[in-house]
Amino acid sequence: MRMLWAVGAAGALVLHPLHTTLTQLSYDAGNRVALITIRAFADDFHAAARGVSDSAAFAYAAAGFTLTDRDGRGLALEWCGVRRTGDLLWLCLRAPAPGGLAGLRVHARLLFDRFEDQINIVQASYGARRVSLLFSRGDLPQPLP
Amino acid sequence: MSELQAFITLGFRHITDFEAMDHILFLLVLAAIYRARDWRNSLWVISAFTVGHSVTLALAVMGAVVVPARLVEFLIPLTIVATCVENLFVRDRAYAWWGGRYRPVFAGVFGLVHGAGFANYLRDLFVAPIAVPLFGFNVGIELGQIVVLALTAAALAGFDRCVGAVAPRFGSPLRLRVVAVSVLVAVVAARWAVERSPW
Repeated sequence: MRMLWAVGAAGALVLHPLHTTLTQLSYDAGNRVALITIRAFADDFHAAARGVSDSAAFAYAAAGFTLTDRDGRGLALEWCGVRRTGDLLWLCLRAPAPGGLAGLRVHARLLFDRFEDQINIVQASYGARRVSLLFSRGDLPQPLP
Repeated sequence: MSELQAFITLGFRHITDFEAMDHILFLLVLAAIYRARDWRNSLWVISAFTVGHSVTLALAVMGAVVVPARLVEFLIPLTIVATCVENLFVRDRAYAWWGGRYRPVFAGVFGLVHGAGFANYLRDLFVAPIAVPLFGFNVGIELGQIVVLALTAAALAGFDRCVGAVAPRFGSPLRLRVVAVSVLVAVVAARWAVERSPW
């Protein structure tokens, strides 16, 4: 009976939350920069970032989302703001990528420190390519073809 | 990985996660009345559930319907309790209304409610074009449900064998299983309904 009650308690706390972020990664060939838009649920993200300020959001986003070039060097991410629509945050980042996106390694570890079942999807569009990468806990960085 | 594969994986993992317990228990009570040889009926009912939740999910993600989250959270456990009650009261489906064939309709209607539960999370996350993510997510949910259903069927068959071997005087293991599963799940779902009540 105690176990039955525990199952009941698990379901009562939250209704089937979806722990997911969706990141769109594109390339501005004119300025040779990677453009990154991360969509995350605001309450989860702010709790993980330990604050609602831009600096807290950027620090957490830059630690959780990384781009690495073919030589293993991390691309320097720059903050380009955040906006909120309903429960969702849209975080804007960009990074100089003179060699384009092909061959870069992507790692999206956002909110892995908070949720066991967190899944992060990265949709990359560059040239004629459209690639999706899916990250869950313990996954290694993945290359863009 | 393609976009379709990514969202199939997302849907699959979402439904097979422990936190999807409300949907898993609903599948369990839907499947509790079937034996292994009834797998077609079972699959038919689960697919009707998928069609139902796919419809609401699509409508909600496209903004065609807005369903209050608190109401949906309350209605989902009620659908589970109603299914348990139906399991307990309909002993012989051959003599039930419409030969018992109303069950897929029942599952489809309840699926509409469960789909609204998914939609509250996905509406914000998906942006146009949503066709591929939505389709992929639903396919993943359906595949996840089939896996849950297969595991459930194996567990229930094991339960039947144990009961048949240990306590044959209890009569039909199937009836005992239906009663046991339905009562236990109804208790859990009733607790959720009370705790999620918007009033």
